[in-house]
Amino acid sequence: MLASINRKLGLLIFIVAAVYLYLSFQLPNYEYAPIDADVIPKGLGILLLVLSVFLFFSRVVETDAEKAKRNIPKKELGVIAAVFAMIFVYILLFEAIGFIITTALFIFFCSWFLGYRAWKTNILVSLLFPIVMYAIFVFALGIVLPRGILPF
Amino acid sequence: MDAFQGLLTGFQVALSLEGIMFVLIGVIVGTLIGMMPGLGPISAIAIMIPITYGMDPAPALVMMAGVYYGAVFGGSTSSILLNAPGISGTVATAFDGYPMAQQGKAGKALAIAAISSFIGGTVSVVLLMLLAPALSSVAISFGPPAYFALMFMGLTAISSLSEGSTIKAMIAAVAGFMVVTIGIDPQTGTQRFTFGNVNLFDGFDFLIIALGLFAVAEVCMLILNRKNRSLSDDQKLGSLKLSKADLKEMSGPVSRQSFVGFLLGVLPGAGATIASFISYIFEKRIAKNPEEFGKGSIKGLAAPESSNNAATSGAFVPLLSLGIPGSGTTAVMLGAFLVLGVQPGPLLMTDRPEIFWGIIASMYLGNVFLLILNLPLIPYLAKILSIPRPLLISLVIMFSLIGVYSISFNVFDLYMLLVFGALGFAMRIFSFPAPPFILAFILGGMMEQAFRQSMTISNGSLSIFVDTPLPLSLLLVALISLLVPAFLKWRSNRLAYKQR
Repeated sequence: MLASINRKLGLLIFIVAAVYLYLSFQLPNYEYAPIDADVIPKGLGILLLVLSVFLFFSRVVETDAEKAKRNIPKKELGVIAAVFAMIFVYILLFEAIGFIITTALFIFFCSWFLGYRAWKTNILVSLLFPIVMYAIFVFALGIVLPRGILPF
Repeated sequence: MDAFQGLLTGFQVALSLEGIMFVLIGVIVGTLIGMMPGLGPISAIAIMIPITYGMDPAPALVMMAGVYYGAVFGGSTSSILLNAPGISGTVATAFDGYPMAQQGKAGKALAIAAISSFIGGTVSVVLLMLLAPALSSVAISFGPPAYFALMFMGLTAISSLSEGSTIKAMIAAVAGFMVVTIGIDPQTGTQRFTFGNVNLFDGFDFLIIALGLFAVAEVCMLILNRKNRSLSDDQKLGSLKLSKADLKEMSGPVSRQSFVGFLLGVLPGAGATIASFISYIFEKRIAKNPEEFGKGSIKGLAAPESSNNAATSGAFVPLLSLGIPGSGTTAVMLGAFLVLGVQPGPLLMTDRPEIFWGIIASMYLGNVFLLILNLPLIPYLAKILSIPRPLLISLVIMFSLIGVYSISFNVFDLYMLLVFGALGFAMRIFSFPAPPFILAFILGGMMEQAFRQSMTISNGSLSIFVDTPLPLSLLLVALISLLVPAFLKWRSNRLAYKQR
């Protein structure tokens, strides 16, 4: 029954819509507001519910191009997951260690991981980019980036 | 203030030292980001927004506009040289531009693209200058019901004109609207879907959505395609010179498609991508020798290039005069306005003439700069295409993270950037268009407000939307824009069944 991708997506979106709708019915009511805060969310929830049913029953056949887009080798998904993990670690350490050091490390290792082997250029860019960005943001734009363990 | 006086005010902004500098920065950055295959104008604008914090609104917005049309201008270079369109608005450019480059006439193709873009852009600014003030003065009388209907029509138009399934596009739009309901309701103070999390009280900043759904998601696609070729050093561009015959051949398509592109840009939902395809097909239909199209035809290159740039300026008409963006890109432009505390709309022309006219005047200047940048300097600029993909990926990730951090200094928002990046990637894989999402996200708050104001006026009766002709006709157009494609699809499906 869930053979086609539209059915799976339709079901998933149906669940999301149902949860959203349930939550919008939990919103508090005030008597004197002609249109309360829950009206639009309820409308949106119902709309999404209807659309997900349409998607579920739509007979539109997936084009080859769409299928090809969806067909990503597991290994490549792993690469993307790894990059996301690196970003996650970056965010985790960013305020504690500071912008310049974490950014330099991130650019070097992320580029290396994605297959960039010219390590001299890589080191140069990894060092110059955060320093230049830091200078622009902190000194020119007055936007403070975390200094972390560095003294400046 | 009449248009002439207004334009003078505008040129005072655009031709000041500051103005010239920021137009130049805008178009250069736009061209460079636009050239990178995979990174579109939305990412370009979103990445540049943090730079404008604390700037004067007029030069800042002049720069942001430059980023936008610069990106459309620059997107053609990678279409022609690599057959990898820099942005979706230049996909059609590759149809004839890439074959020309393969025939060793890359320089000529780039020159044709640059000149067509310049003319398309300039014609369109003239039309923008004439149309935007007129529309502003009409729109000043629009009440909340008309505004609600206009925005609703914008959303249905972008959904039905999106590539692929209309249902998926509508789902994307509804989802974008849902995300904007998260946070404290500005009118009643009710917490909606915050789960008591302080970080969610103010809702999501649009930059998180724009950078996540576009820049980060585009990075994911770049990761998948990281082994695609980039420009090799030995690729020869050939001469940039055009003969008189070449110019004569392109004059027809350019003059026609500048107007077509402008019109399509003004209409909600269309924009540069659709304009470029329609213009390409248009010229192919009326050409004496349509078989040349796709094999390096000058007409086939000039048509989409003049049209996509014309559409870009055209898209500023509803943005500046109504305050309502008609496309994903102009939605992010609206975000850039709001960040600077400028509310575009019918009052902009009278309240902030230096911004309204400054942007228009700067476009004349920007187009000249782009022509200069793209003609003699193109061989040097094209070098950016040889930047190694892994390095590009890391840097774009960094730009996105810095951009989000600098709006709120809140690490929570960075995690949310990751979440929306993953969502954007999933949407790309499963063919849900992202522009309706961002447009709905930007319009959502305004729509809810307009809806509630209307309902307050009418004391809770929905009839306010159908009692007056303007909202009624807009809603009817919206309905038709949804039903017509659905009907056409249903009919073609039925025909397909019958044939089987």
